[in-house]
Amino acid sequence: MTYLMVTGRTVTQGVTVENKTSVDYAEETSTCFMHEFDMLELGLDDRNAILVTGPCGEVVMRAVASVEVEMGTVFVPYGPYANHIIDADTHSTGMPDFKSHEVEIEPTDKEPKTVHKLMEDLGGLAYDR
Amino acid sequence: MIVKDVVCPFCGCLCDDIEVEVEENRVVAVANACELGTTKLMGEKRMKNPILRDGNTWKDISYDEAIEYAADMLLSAERPLLYGWSGTHGEAQCVGVHMAELVRGVIDNTSSVCHGPSILAIQEVGHPGCTLGVVKNRADLVIYWGSNPIDAHPRHLSRYTRYADGFFLENAFRDRKVIVVDIRRTETANIADEFVQIKPGGDYAVLSALRAIVRGKTETIPRTVAGVTREQLVRVVDLCKEAKFGAVYFGLGLTMTQGKYKNIRNAIELVSELNRHTKFTISAMRGHYNVYGSNEVNTWMTGYPFGIDFSRGIAFYNPGETTAVDVLARKECDAALIVGSDPAAHFPRRCLEHLADIPVVQLDPYPNATTAFCNVQIPVAVTGIDAEGTAYRMDGVPIRTRKVLSTDYPSDEEVLSRMYALMQEGRER
Repeated sequence: MTYLMVTGRTVTQGVTVENKTSVDYAEETSTCFMHEFDMLELGLDDRNAILVTGPCGEVVMRAVASVEVEMGTVFVPYGPYANHIIDADTHSTGMPDFKSHEVEIEPTDKEPKTVHKLMEDLGGLAYDR
Repeated sequence: MIVKDVVCPFCGCLCDDIEVEVEENRVVAVANACELGTTKLMGEKRMKNPILRDGNTWKDISYDEAIEYAADMLLSAERPLLYGWSGTHGEAQCVGVHMAELVRGVIDNTSSVCHGPSILAIQEVGHPGCTLGVVKNRADLVIYWGSNPIDAHPRHLSRYTRYADGFFLENAFRDRKVIVVDIRRTETANIADEFVQIKPGGDYAVLSALRAIVRGKTETIPRTVAGVTREQLVRVVDLCKEAKFGAVYFGLGLTMTQGKYKNIRNAIELVSELNRHTKFTISAMRGHYNVYGSNEVNTWMTGYPFGIDFSRGIAFYNPGETTAVDVLARKECDAALIVGSDPAAHFPRRCLEHLADIPVVQLDPYPNATTAFCNVQIPVAVTGIDAEGTAYRMDGVPIRTRKVLSTDYPSDEEVLSRMYALMQEGRER
């Protein structure tokens, strides 16, 4: 199924933003807030893993029901998970389409990766001291 | 010891009424701040010393070695990118601009991925804005458009709008109306007198419809515009026209969606129309505590607010070409200095793939997502906690942040000044 992915600030994302190697930050930024009817349609319960595919690749997140989003729209807090699938095109403005990406969502058996693992997949080296 | 009137270094509100309790050189309690500010002021887990990537391991190095590495990296690069700057003080930003000019690099700040489009619109049609104090004391109507202050600027509502007293308002809570416009029913929408829910991507159309109604062309408006009924649009315009003083605050819900700076331009022009009937202002909800400062410092030093390219020997500005996401996505820069931001967490993956291929030095107090792409990271003092310096509030008011702790960490300005001195010496040789 295709959904519109919108990213944005949440209090929990802001509270953990200076501690990006923490479990709390990874948990919050890998959460995909969805309308409960959309979750029902995909056979998802709260915190089930989902595979989210965007124009630049795919990433595993967890679905959580939210009364804030409309059907057909999903909300993901700013962070490395959403950006893993966001396109870098800025249409000559300097600003990527952080709030208007169409994504495919399906249930998956895979687990969301850690922030360290996401960075290592792109050629980085985790620092965890 | 309790330190009063501390300035919170988290968001663009720069709340200056914080009380911090310090014991044994640690922050043990924070009063008056929101959850975001409290967590930052009490933050721990800092990086202890500079680190260098050595193959597949990390090695501790001295500040002298780290600074020398950074200076050499920037001097030997053909097209270095100097990015970030919103999470540091103005004095450090000044040194950054001098460094970029010396090495003919590109210097950009985080506004290119937050309110850069707002600045593009302001350059087109101007900015009828005012300070937060004016809104607090005079505004009887506040519109939050595409912004969610309860999550992003939690004290904006209590210090300046919904829950604030106003000098010229008899009963501010009763007399001040709040309208929220958003695609999501956020927590902020729940405390609004009027919530306007727009279909995603419909902001431009709704702004145009409101402008038409303000001009008396209601009959041209269809029954719904981007999911908003004509009746509600008319009601919103009536509330605006009846207000003695209205203030619009817009967020990334306008800058990051389709239309980008054209949305902001339309919002500013709506405010212009409303000024034919009453007094109205519009301002951006700035995110980082000193992102406004990075625009100010860059503008008074180079003429441009962000995305400045010195490769021609003079300052050149062309957002979309000279902005960090584009420079990285085109794989154009051959070195990067990151200060006071975390592009690896906030940039699209294509940008990170290039960061992995080039030398990167970062100045940041904490290990973050960008650390993984660094060749060297230099831990620095946190402005507003163990370093002081000037920051600009979201309404353009400069405020001197205070130092509440004394640590051995050097400030961004100290590290950058030493780097710049080495670079000047290197260029003279």
